[in-house]
Amino acid sequence: MSLICVGLVTAILMLLEQPVAASLVPIAYLVPVIIAATQWGIWPATLAAIASMAAADFFFFPPIFSFQVEDPQEVIDLLLFLVVALVSGNLASRLRQETETLRQREQDIHNLYDFSRRLAACFTVSDLIAAIENYLSRTLGQQAAFFAARTDGHFEPPKSASVPKVVQENVTSGIATAGAPPKNLVDGPTQNVWLLRVVSSETAVLGLVAVNIGTGTSEAIALKTRRVEAILEEVSLTLQRIDIEKAMEDARLRLQAQLLRDAFHGTLSHELCTPLAAIRGSASVLDSMPRIQKDARARSLVEAISEEVAELDGFIHSLLNATRVTAGGVSPHLEWSDPRDILNAAIKGRARRLATHKVETKFAEDLPLVNVDSGLIEESCGQLLENAAKYSPSGTTISISAKSKQGDVVLSISDQGVGITPDERLNLGRRSFRGQRHQATVPGSGLGFWIASVFVGANGGTIDITSPGQGLGTTASITLPGSAMKHPEPTARHQ
Amino acid sequence: MSRPANIVLLIEDESKIRRFLRAGFELQGYTVIEAENAADGLKAATFSAPDLIILDLALPDLHGSEVLERIRSWSNVPVIILSVVSAEDEKVRLLQAGADDYVVKPFGMAELLARSEAALRRYFKSATENPVVVAGPLSVDLVTRTVSLNKQQIRLTRKEYRLLHILATHVGLVVTHDQLLKDIWSGNQRDNIQYLRILVRKLRQKIETDPNHPRLLVTESGVGYRLQARLEDIAAD
Repeated sequence: MSLICVGLVTAILMLLEQPVAASLVPIAYLVPVIIAATQWGIWPATLAAIASMAAADFFFFPPIFSFQVEDPQEVIDLLLFLVVALVSGNLASRLRQETETLRQREQDIHNLYDFSRRLAACFTVSDLIAAIENYLSRTLGQQAAFFAARTDGHFEPPKSASVPKVVQENVTSGIATAGAPPKNLVDGPTQNVWLLRVVSSETAVLGLVAVNIGTGTSEAIALKTRRVEAILEEVSLTLQRIDIEKAMEDARLRLQAQLLRDAFHGTLSHELCTPLAAIRGSASVLDSMPRIQKDARARSLVEAISEEVAELDGFIHSLLNATRVTAGGVSPHLEWSDPRDILNAAIKGRARRLATHKVETKFAEDLPLVNVDSGLIEESCGQLLENAAKYSPSGTTISISAKSKQGDVVLSISDQGVGITPDERLNLGRRSFRGQRHQATVPGSGLGFWIASVFVGANGGTIDITSPGQGLGTTASITLPGSAMKHPEPTARHQ
Repeated sequence: MSRPANIVLLIEDESKIRRFLRAGFELQGYTVIEAENAADGLKAATFSAPDLIILDLALPDLHGSEVLERIRSWSNVPVIILSVVSAEDEKVRLLQAGADDYVVKPFGMAELLARSEAALRRYFKSATENPVVVAGPLSVDLVTRTVSLNKQQIRLTRKEYRLLHILATHVGLVVTHDQLLKDIWSGNQRDNIQYLRILVRKLRQKIETDPNHPRLLVTESGVGYRLQARLEDIAAD
């Protein structure tokens, strides 16, 4: 190219008049030298300088068409030209290089800026991986592959990108740890250098990036390595940010759930319970008024109010218990209690519900005390009693028994109701489960049995539901661990 | 009823609750004073000399237990707590702080009236000086230490009598486990509730028609025991 330029200048000069050309020659020949220097670098420029000198001597310095020079003055001119051409070519080519470097740097910074903007929009790890692959492969024009870390500590090979065997083997044999040293591999057949870098946040290793940075001198490789590392630095910062964001999001969600529960609890216990207490109390005052007592119709209305309030109160009570369970707030306050007291209290508490049934109780004489939270067990028995009343026709008998069995105490509640199918039995422990058969006909929230089983479980006991078959009644049994106490008047202190 | 009009002070911030309490008490011949916060309540307790205070726990300016403590610092007037908290610990704490009894919202008026009467009876007991406590078919002569059931004298062991004695002096009111244990036992055994459970069983065998379904000596789950002034079925609303 430099030679073509020189030839072109020679041709132009040839076309001009001889005297004009002679004075223009040295300056005109600087043009191809500088063009060569700015366009193609220092060596083409030097070549152009030498060729220009030769051409000037050959075509324009007498004797023309000969490399010989007659005038010693002209020899000096030619040598001077050569020096000037070489120096200016050198300067111009250096300028070109600087410009090139600056442009490259600007591009790098621009790319990196673009990348960090993309990273800022990353909210999940998969976003981030896509950003890394995209940036390395497209923007830098370098082949990159991402190996996701598996839970067992090894890396998963990428699905799409093609990676040389040597890289593949090296990566999959490695163990995913944040501390693994960075590695450079040389792919045998192509002599491409592959950079392996682990991508990790403070808490976890995400995976490994393999980048093909091509071939070149060790200097070029080092430059590219630095660029890739700058990117990975950016990536790990983003990972930390995502980690922090995730932790904050989790904390925020937990706080919200907690607030919601507290609000629910507060609302239920105050906003609902206060009006309810007012209605219940007012109804009871009305009921005791002589004027109402004389009027049968008014009395039955007051009775209805009382019953509905009791129903509502029971429902709110269940919900409160459910929030208590969900909040993980069941911490039993263990105290030695008489199982009889617990059952009697439960029966009394559900007296209204049981009013239409015959209730039979059978307590064994040798019942030991149980070390339980009597409130929780009473609530559980109450829920089971309520279910028994709900799922058996009025007028039938509900039998309640307490007996000791191999040191344990078993409280059983049997009804003569609809029974339970094996399928329903499997689902019993689930929150809000209600049998298909009853959803339309029997009111309820499906919370009762769930609450009962959680409460009994918290006391170290178990609930068992048995039924001889559909329509043949159900027996619910609570088994509580028996006391260590054998004598009626113990001498050892418990707890 | 020929008793003089007892003055009852209601310290309760909810007007809806005060309204039915006033109606309920007035229907039974009480004179009612109302206070809607702790400050007013404490003032009324000082200047109006009530015979009975019904105290709500959730007051806007001061927690009910604090109000109870201040009242107790200068007065023995019976205090019955109204609480939405069904937590046993809270009840026990309040009873130990000097409350005479409690009812948990929602409650029926008959229940509160029964508690109120029992508290008043105990408060005025020294004035009536009747040494015989009657609870349904049971009568306990605190002076001669004799117990009879349906007019038939029954024999109790020393501990059984001690238990019955404490309950009888608080007839109609709840007595905490702690109080019973302290009074009946001494030393390191007194915080062992198992003794109490067993003793109650034995006493029930002697005084209850059906010990499996006690109607006189009833259990207040997690709190203590209560000797009913009348048979439970009659007292229930």
